[in-house]
Amino acid sequence: MGQPHVWLVRKEAWLVSKMAVAISVAKMWRQSRGLGQAALVALRRPGARGLAGSRPSTQQQQFPSLDDKPQFPGASAEFVDKLEFIQPNVISGIPIYRVMDRQGQIINPSEDPHLPQEEVLKLYRSMTLLNTMDRILYESQRQGRISFYMTNYGEEGTHVGSAAALDRTDLVFGQYREAGVLMYRDYPLELFMAQCYGNVNDPGKGRQMPVHYGCKERHFVTISSPLATQIPQAVGAAYAAKRANANRIVICYFGEGAASEGDAHAGFNFAATLECPIIFFCRNNGYAISTPTSEQYRGDGIAARGPGYGILSIRVDGNDVFAVYNATKEARRRAVAENQPFLIEAMTYRIGHHSTSDDSSAYRSVDEVNYWDKQDHPISRLRQYLLSRGWWDDGQEKAWRKQSRKKVMEAFEQAERKLKPNPNLLFSDVYQEMPAQLRRQQESLARHLQTYGEHYPLDHFDK
Amino acid sequence: MNLFQSITSALDNSLAKDPTAVIFGEDVAFGGVFRCTVGLRDKYGKDRVFNTPLCEQGIVGFGIGIAVTGATAIAEIQFADYIFPAFDQIVNEAAKYRYRSGDLFNCGSLTIRAPWGCVGHGALYHSQSPEAFFAHCPGIKVVIPRSPFQAKGLLLSCIEDKNPCIFFEPKILYRAAVEQVPVEPYKIPLSQAEVIQEGSDVTLVAWGTQVHVIREVASMAREKLGVSCEIIDLRTIVPWDVDTVCKSVVKTGRLLISHEAPLTGGFASEISSTVQEECFLNLEAPISRVCGYDTPFPHIFEPFYIPDKWKCYDALRKMINY
Repeated sequence: MGQPHVWLVRKEAWLVSKMAVAISVAKMWRQSRGLGQAALVALRRPGARGLAGSRPSTQQQQFPSLDDKPQFPGASAEFVDKLEFIQPNVISGIPIYRVMDRQGQIINPSEDPHLPQEEVLKLYRSMTLLNTMDRILYESQRQGRISFYMTNYGEEGTHVGSAAALDRTDLVFGQYREAGVLMYRDYPLELFMAQCYGNVNDPGKGRQMPVHYGCKERHFVTISSPLATQIPQAVGAAYAAKRANANRIVICYFGEGAASEGDAHAGFNFAATLECPIIFFCRNNGYAISTPTSEQYRGDGIAARGPGYGILSIRVDGNDVFAVYNATKEARRRAVAENQPFLIEAMTYRIGHHSTSDDSSAYRSVDEVNYWDKQDHPISRLRQYLLSRGWWDDGQEKAWRKQSRKKVMEAFEQAERKLKPNPNLLFSDVYQEMPAQLRRQQESLARHLQTYGEHYPLDHFDK
Repeated sequence: MNLFQSITSALDNSLAKDPTAVIFGEDVAFGGVFRCTVGLRDKYGKDRVFNTPLCEQGIVGFGIGIAVTGATAIAEIQFADYIFPAFDQIVNEAAKYRYRSGDLFNCGSLTIRAPWGCVGHGALYHSQSPEAFFAHCPGIKVVIPRSPFQAKGLLLSCIEDKNPCIFFEPKILYRAAVEQVPVEPYKIPLSQAEVIQEGSDVTLVAWGTQVHVIREVASMAREKLGVSCEIIDLRTIVPWDVDTVCKSVVKTGRLLISHEAPLTGGFASEISSTVQEECFLNLEAPISRVCGYDTPFPHIFEPFYIPDKWKCYDALRKMINY
């Protein structure tokens, strides 16, 4: 790993000259002995795999003859004399691991994670509470109460299944459609709302658009809008966790669209070469705004890219909470034990629009959406599982729906009534300390508001 | 020490003092293409001084991630000319990390180092001075030293500063500039310009290599024109020391700013604009900018391109005679 390039150039020259000598010596020896191929076999170093992964040394044995294994530093492979391009396999791609069928029944009992009732109920409540919050906040944007919103419809299983398999202190880098991870980690409804409303309670101090959550105590790094930028960052965080012997991994979520960004390629390659304990979790939900996967990539999705980087990869049914859980659990166990990255591609479907700025009926049929909503939804599949175990019933369902809606509405009404943060918070945290120039600008705004304050919505802001 | 040795010394001090500190980038393991990291891998281990794949957006993104956990990340970009793939990570991510999270998260322990400026034969892609692109970005600091002693102190300040910093190292000075540099760590404050020579008639402002050019111009001016120049090394491009520069211009009434980077949108424009706002009535002549032309950095034409002492002297003379 990381052989010094300058040193190698000098060594290469030395080896080439030695090889030339060895070849001519071997040729002469063969000719003088009248020996054929059999003799050449004896000249090969046993177990030689070429120079890939091995260090050239001054004590090198006699260099193998021309007919032997390749010596290129760049690949560990055999020679072949037949011209053949490798065919990418997209017709029968990497298979999709699942535990439950679409009706929530366990297919192979040995794959059942046997989670206790309380845990499965927590998974169910997290998904449904998220769903309820999504409905109410989406509606609130339509009514002009918040400026923007993104729902998580259909992908709740990817969030809670993975979150449940992590340790509480594992660091999460998300994209923007992972609110269920925060929900599973018990992020209060008040704070979800506070961020969406940008009110005085927003830990983010009102600086970002809705759904750009962040929580230090729950190890959820603040969301940013640019796509895939979190991927190489997550790798760096994992490297630091490895150095700190923290027994922590990092999980990095992104969509199949973001996986096209250069930052994704950068992140995968760095994680593999620098041996980082990280799980790359791709939510392949079929669309990047209006762009279907057929226009996003031509290969076998994102899971097929992993091996190209030397990364252990798997594709799972993202709407099967237990499949997501099992894959994440095993990836976590191995990532921390072996210090290597894992790639999980969770296949799912984005039931909602991309955001409140999108109307997806412009590019897909209502029938297609309804299929997923009705026939293959992570919440209904888990509910079926719960019902068949006798851990849930229609009465509890009704009561929970009522209770969760009430909780959300209360938090919502509270959040709406709160003031926005003091406008001075426009200026802080650019740097740790406020530079002189910025302080002057802050004072300039204060003076401006003294004269022109009536034209600004000061009443809604904290004094 | 020469400049690259003073950098090595600063990095050595950092890794010795801060067990979380790591250095990474292309080719840093064997010592770096400019020898700035020689010996550090052997001394501190391969988990602390290591090569990354050839990918600047990855290098900076990776560095941000390390810093987010609180560890110290010292990233090297092989030439400032190649920093642009990392522009998104620097501007949209590093610079905004603390602000956008409401101070829940930050990447203050990230420092990015890159060789900078003309070198005699570097042409388009081994000569650039991109500080102006980053000056326009609140949330990061940009620092450029003029000498080995300055470099070590400023780099140590950047590394310990709680904000992401970009440290540009004038590559032409790596071997050419030699001076006494303490082996022990010391810091030179950021956002403080230095008046390296006091004067009464004209203020000359520059940074990096160009400080030495205007120093020569100052002695030419004294000899040939009897003019006394006040020389200021800006040192930190952003946030910059407005007060020191303005105080000087209030005294002298004349300002000349010089940099290798192209004229239009170059950092001299920011200084010029601010000074004319703050010191308008003190000015005896228009502010003069002596910069590179608005062209990519040429190869064979470098001697004609750079803002050499003759161009600076001529501009100064015109200002005196205004």
